[in-house]
Amino acid sequence: MAANLTRLLEHKLQTSSAVTAQRCVRLFSTQQQQSEVNDDEEFRVLNLRTVKQQARRREIKKDAVQPPRTSRMAVDQDWTAVWSGPRSFHPASVPLPLRQGYTERGAAAPSKYANAELMKIPNFLHLTPPAIRQQCEAIKKFCTPWPKGLETEAKWKRHFPIEVLSTDYCHSLPTIRHPEARRVTITLKLSDLQFDAHAKDKFLRLVGERYNQETGVLTFVTDRCPTRKQNYDYALYLLTACYHESFVTEPWEDTKSEADMEEYHFERNQAKKSAEAILNWNSKAEQKVAASPSYATSVEQLINEGENEYNLAKYKEEVLKMLKITV
Amino acid sequence: MKMFRKQLGSLSRISTQLQRNVIASGAASRTAEMSTNVAPALDAAALDEFRTAVANPGEHSTLQSAKFYTIPVEQKKQIFTGGGLPKQYEQQIKTFTETCLMVRSPALELLQYIKNADLSKPAVRYVLYGENGVGKTLTMAHVLHYGALNDFVLVHVPWAPNWMKRPKEASNASGQEGFIDLPFDAAAWLVHFKNQNAQLLQKLQLKTSKEYVWSKRESTPAGASLIELVEHGIARIKYASETTAALIAELKQLATNNQCKIMVAIDGFNAFFHPITRIFSDNKQRVSPDRITLTQPFLDITNYDWTNGVCILSVDKIAMTEGYMDSYMPRYLLGKEGFEHLDPFVPIHVKNYTEKEFMSYISYYLDRHWISKTPPGFEKQLKFMSNMNPYTLMQLVRGL
Repeated sequence: MAANLTRLLEHKLQTSSAVTAQRCVRLFSTQQQQSEVNDDEEFRVLNLRTVKQQARRREIKKDAVQPPRTSRMAVDQDWTAVWSGPRSFHPASVPLPLRQGYTERGAAAPSKYANAELMKIPNFLHLTPPAIRQQCEAIKKFCTPWPKGLETEAKWKRHFPIEVLSTDYCHSLPTIRHPEARRVTITLKLSDLQFDAHAKDKFLRLVGERYNQETGVLTFVTDRCPTRKQNYDYALYLLTACYHESFVTEPWEDTKSEADMEEYHFERNQAKKSAEAILNWNSKAEQKVAASPSYATSVEQLINEGENEYNLAKYKEEVLKMLKITV
Repeated sequence: MKMFRKQLGSLSRISTQLQRNVIASGAASRTAEMSTNVAPALDAAALDEFRTAVANPGEHSTLQSAKFYTIPVEQKKQIFTGGGLPKQYEQQIKTFTETCLMVRSPALELLQYIKNADLSKPAVRYVLYGENGVGKTLTMAHVLHYGALNDFVLVHVPWAPNWMKRPKEASNASGQEGFIDLPFDAAAWLVHFKNQNAQLLQKLQLKTSKEYVWSKRESTPAGASLIELVEHGIARIKYASETTAALIAELKQLATNNQCKIMVAIDGFNAFFHPITRIFSDNKQRVSPDRITLTQPFLDITNYDWTNGVCILSVDKIAMTEGYMDSYMPRYLLGKEGFEHLDPFVPIHVKNYTEKEFMSYISYYLDRHWISKTPPGFEKQLKFMSNMNPYTLMQLVRGL
């Protein structure tokens, strides 16, 4: 019984194994049949270096170029609306056949399209007379009438000798303050101030560079305070202080010697001594004669203005007169 | 045709010249006739229209302006032996065998001033100024001639910058510490002074006022004549500078005491106020003119503190050195110090020739056969090239 059982089992096992073997063989043979079919179509290439597949360039789709705006502009359009503020040149916005730039001889200058030369130069297309007129009209409502009696410059200069200059800045920044906006410049003519000889000399020494010798204009520029108002007050303070200080005579000012004098003064010089010594030659003490003022001015003129034929002739005339030499 | 017209033109020119000559010779003969009783010694040929027979500068007036007068040989010898005429003019004089000076307006003006001057007043300083070569020295020569004829004692320095620029010898002054003596130049000046004034000094009998002690053994006593003083200076060259100082001080005093009148003429006066000289001191530094012993006496005599005198000074660009020659104006050339020293002075501008003077000079040169080639328009060419400057004209027409 037991032997039968084992025989049966073995048989079963044998049969089962035979089946699997059979199956395996069949499987293998079917695989072989399939690969044979592939080889017929393409032989695979062993790809050791992986070459990147080139990405296919994507076609950029451009919009169709619009015709320039100028072609659609009406003849009677409002130009100030087209070109409202300063900007660099744009060919499609300007309906003018402009040309600019260098070419070989004989050729026409490059046209306005893609022309860097036209873009480089500043233009005043925003400042056409109608634009200015329009802006003037717009701000007219803020203006007051011009005061009577100040029609000419000479008139207003007489009433308002001081000129105050400051600058406002418009810009797009988070802050509305501009560092330059606090700067205040006041100018006035020196002739508008009243001085005596000493005060004038001292004043000019005090103001120094702020006085222009050629134009006679005095200029104070202040920017040391944070606001414009303060700077304006400071400039006026400077002017006032210098003016009043110039009338003060300090004790040390008397020690000014001849070498420190900025101008030749007849009274202080050898010329006066010589002239009076000659005039009072052999005369008594009480009959002293002083040199004539015209001689004094001629000497001063000769030294201060420098020598020229006119000044020298004047000097000669005065000397002859003084020495009583008859011609 | 053109040639014919040209010839015709030259013919007519010749004819006009002929006419002019006739007129001129007629005028000359007339003047000769008129002046025969004035100066019978002069022959008619000497009286061309560009010459004047008036040889005394005192009588010159605008009538004689732009005309030549002749300085007699002995007077020329007396006044100008030691200098006073420019070297090239001297050569010209030698060539032309006569000393002719043109009467020009600055000299006339100056003579007028001197004649009208009140000599009891302090000495007036006249300063001649002008561009190079306009005749400052010759104007001075003209006035010197006047001075010599009118009993002025001449104190004449022919060219002051010579002392500062090229002295014969420089030595330390014995009397004054830190000063420089120019013994040879001082002696030469004394000789010049003696030449000019010997006769006059003889006549005036001027005496020294005090005793001058030169050394232990040498001295000039008070009351000695000025001639003795001068001769001592010439003989003892070592003391020439001091003698010059003494002489000038004496002269100043004598003039103030009304014993004589003095004409001071210094050419190139601004050299006394030049910042430096070419003389080196012991420590190899250039000395300034005020450290030269000769400077002080001449500055003293050009001061205003004396009477009976006139000072004729000329300021000249050439008297200065490079860097100080920008202008010919007196204030510039004298500087501050010099101006203060001279002020008040009478500036006299010597200018280039006027048209009349130029033509007169050309006729003088033609008369002397100095200009031999006279193509038409040569005067115009000379005028253009010389700009009517006397020196340039002389250079243009000079011999090779």
